[in-house]
Amino acid sequence: MENITRRDFGKLLATVAIASAGVSAIKPLFETKFAKSQTSAQEYAVPVTCAACGAACGLLFVRRGERMYLVPNLSHPQPGMCFRPASALQLWNHPLRLKKPLKRAGARGEGKFQEVDWGTALNEIAQKLREIVQKYGPESVAFTRHDHMSWILPFIASVLGTPNVIGHEGTCHAASTAARRFVLGASGPTSVDPDYENATYILLIGRNLDAAMGHVRRLAAARERGVKIVVVDPRAPNIAYSSVEWLPINPSTDAAFVLSLIYVIISEGLYDAPFLKKYTNAPFLIKPDGQPLTQKDLGQEGAAYLVYDNATKSVAPHDKAQDPALDYEGEVQTKDGVVKVKTAFKLLIERVAKYTPEVAEKITGIPADTIRRIAREFAISRGVAEDGWYTSRNGNDFDAYRAILILNALVGNIDKRGGLCFQESSRFPSTCTIFEDRIETIIGYTLPPVKAKRVDTLKYPETPGSFDALLDAIIEEKPYPIKALFIVATSPFHRDVNTEKLKKALEKLELVVSIDILPQDHIDWSDYVLPDLMFLERSEIGSVKWSLHAAVWYSHKVLDPPPGVDARDAFWALMEIIRRAFPEKAKLVDYDERYADYHAFEHYEEQFMDTALKKLADLWKLNVAEIKEALETNGFYILKKKSYETRPYKTSLATPSGKVEIYTLRALRYGLDPLPDWKPPVYKVPQAPDEFYLVNGKDNVISSHMVMVKNAKWIVDRTVWMNPADAERLGIKDGDVVELEGLDNGFKAKAVVKVTNRVKPGVLYTYAFAGGRQSKLISGEYEFLREGVNPQWFATGKVEPVVGSAPTNSSVRVRRL
Amino acid sequence: MTRLAHLWDQSRCIACGACIAACNAANYGSATEENKTWRWLRSNIRRVEVLRGPRPMLLLVQCQHCENAPCVTVCPTGASYKDVDGLVKIKPELCIGCKYCMVACPYEARWLDERTGLPEKCMGDECLSRVSQGLLPICVEVCPAGARAFGDLDDPSSEISRRLARSRYVRLLENKGTEPKYFVVVGP
Repeated sequence: MENITRRDFGKLLATVAIASAGVSAIKPLFETKFAKSQTSAQEYAVPVTCAACGAACGLLFVRRGERMYLVPNLSHPQPGMCFRPASALQLWNHPLRLKKPLKRAGARGEGKFQEVDWGTALNEIAQKLREIVQKYGPESVAFTRHDHMSWILPFIASVLGTPNVIGHEGTCHAASTAARRFVLGASGPTSVDPDYENATYILLIGRNLDAAMGHVRRLAAARERGVKIVVVDPRAPNIAYSSVEWLPINPSTDAAFVLSLIYVIISEGLYDAPFLKKYTNAPFLIKPDGQPLTQKDLGQEGAAYLVYDNATKSVAPHDKAQDPALDYEGEVQTKDGVVKVKTAFKLLIERVAKYTPEVAEKITGIPADTIRRIAREFAISRGVAEDGWYTSRNGNDFDAYRAILILNALVGNIDKRGGLCFQESSRFPSTCTIFEDRIETIIGYTLPPVKAKRVDTLKYPETPGSFDALLDAIIEEKPYPIKALFIVATSPFHRDVNTEKLKKALEKLELVVSIDILPQDHIDWSDYVLPDLMFLERSEIGSVKWSLHAAVWYSHKVLDPPPGVDARDAFWALMEIIRRAFPEKAKLVDYDERYADYHAFEHYEEQFMDTALKKLADLWKLNVAEIKEALETNGFYILKKKSYETRPYKTSLATPSGKVEIYTLRALRYGLDPLPDWKPPVYKVPQAPDEFYLVNGKDNVISSHMVMVKNAKWIVDRTVWMNPADAERLGIKDGDVVELEGLDNGFKAKAVVKVTNRVKPGVLYTYAFAGGRQSKLISGEYEFLREGVNPQWFATGKVEPVVGSAPTNSSVRVRRL
Repeated sequence: MTRLAHLWDQSRCIACGACIAACNAANYGSATEENKTWRWLRSNIRRVEVLRGPRPMLLLVQCQHCENAPCVTVCPTGASYKDVDGLVKIKPELCIGCKYCMVACPYEARWLDERTGLPEKCMGDECLSRVSQGLLPICVEVCPAGARAFGDLDDPSSEISRRLARSRYVRLLENKGTEPKYFVVVGP
């Protein structure tokens, strides 16, 4: 049946496109047969890429007569879909959609605005920006973003001359991204991923596959072959409705659980010794000061890491040893005298000895027998543990994710079929390449270098982005003043911890400009609001994210903004602001008044997609016309299929040793512990009977914009979940209103309780991004958005050092009202 | 004979809501008015969560296309009927809006469109149109979890027949004698 459908969509694809009210003519970017095949057919299906969350799933926009809707693009390497795109048309003509540029007409936070025309808004912003840059320098301007515009913003910032493009990572994947860098030399959440389709045993720790939907499809294929899925989470995420084993764990104790799994696997000899010896730094000899023993220590030439070779009974460089010892402990004569050394593996054994299943049971709430059983199952079936996406939870997450990656290495399941695999890189070009003395832009123009350093990486050197550090810089004016903030398609009030700090920073800024499609809470704090396009209204390309194959996607523009919505491309709006403020800077990238006409801007924007594809074609030695045609017709182009057993087997990793580092040498640079450990959370641990953990998370129905559509009124849960045992104890019934009070910050708010077995006793759960919307622009039948709480109100704002992960969980006192 | 039927695999469904919202988009033009019968969106699929049992459990409920459909039996005008393809359908031109069918359905699978005064249920117009062209109903088309199938029970090679042959499944409220054609798979 599925095959028949695919063929039928193929037929639909052959007949393309009429324009009618609100529906744009499918104007392709490239001159190919796609353009020529436009007919007056009433039916068509056009490839688009979902931007309802950050996963970028492949979809088809279907039009059949009067009907418009989205379906998954099944041949795409990362096909959709979920509730979010299924409701996308409600986002398109949302009654609350930002329709015209707005100018603040009250105090910041009051949400009072007057509509202004685009020219007025852009000129006034440009004038203010010019004053700020003249007074404080270009680095005083910052941008924050989520996924939309993440390719373009570095270009815009470089033209302006600021390094400060600081995204959402600090409250999202900062912890797991740092862990991937330290252990595997990898980077963001997409850089490594379980090979779901071929896995036999999958451990999802704090992860529920709320996206990407391609994962869910591959998991469905694995279910055909009887994969076992274990979900470790204080609450049962939606995926726990399906056939999985759910282990309700105490919040903030993932590291203890995983270290205990490691303990069992090592103590029962279930680890992959040959893998550890050859491809990890487990046999490296470590000195008492924590540093690895190298040839330098012995006064030899070279700097190779040393191991104890069982074959020769002597110390030798790792790559020269025939049989590196995993558990050696002894003394070595160095140029500075005799030192005691131990293998990294031995140090790991000593570390996990603290976490016997009996001890871990007390910490995690998971029975010791269960821990033993899961450890054995995982090792024997050579399982894979997911490496983390949304991981800024408890302030000890970096260690939890290092432990998870080490667990994968322990059973040798790295880059193998069914294991934790490195994604084949598409080598998709950046819009800017930074050199010491210049910045090269993708469209061929050279810009002067940006001297200033990002304010967040100055504070947290290993962070992929810390908005909290930006707030500090705004408030304290250190390391240098930040005076203007552009908030581009992201929602700081629901995204970031420390709501009061955010308000203070927004009050202090001299210019706040927001570009968005709906009234997220920060809109009320903006001096100017510019209405943006939603994803069906723009054409874009990008790298396919959540597939192990290297691929690129293309999304057609299929709709114009609905009548009455004067929304425009954020890229154009930002370039116009720069041109109006600094025509000489805009000139450096050949941008001038030619593009003041919004419709002429298409030609400027086309250069970016065009050159990106030309560069890709050159890199992969492909015909660019072929890629373009495939992108237009299919919405994707696969550049390279996943090739297993490459890293670390044939190519060394980007870790200091080039190996998988179970002992993370990179940590030594910052005085961090090279081995993971469990620490209590940064927030107060609940003690009294009325005190609870407040845990938050997502499911397939959550994204900052899609929780605001009307369907979400019924589909998205804005309650706070409580276990029946706790509810009975406190005399609370389903639907009761309670007051939550943050144990750390004293913040109080009301919420409706849902009594459910989907959350562990002692824990409350609520969705991130959904509850407690406060924008004054929310009105009428959308008042339901005000229900519930925003978990960020209670978060401590304490940030993990070095990696800059700001935990979003907290603890609260509950009082029945 | 043709007996078209739905399969929903409870052991695979991840409650992503794609089918529920896609039904709204395809069959009801992404309408935002409330489905007051169910206090729900305008969709033909309802979500029932069992939150006090030994483990979290979910049921997605929609028209069961019963072989022995109470809604057809009680319909005074013949507006509700079982078609030759096995699906229970409504002829709006014959419907007098008496709501007997809504009351008679033990699955509460029908809701009232207050704009037209007519009952609505699975399948909606767009899904019927899709099926007539050999396409899948929208809920099956969009499901990312492999939790849905649709097809002819009388064709042993159909997707649904093949999946039923290798699955454990139940039908809802079989004791009512409705002979439902909505198969809830609970495991392999």
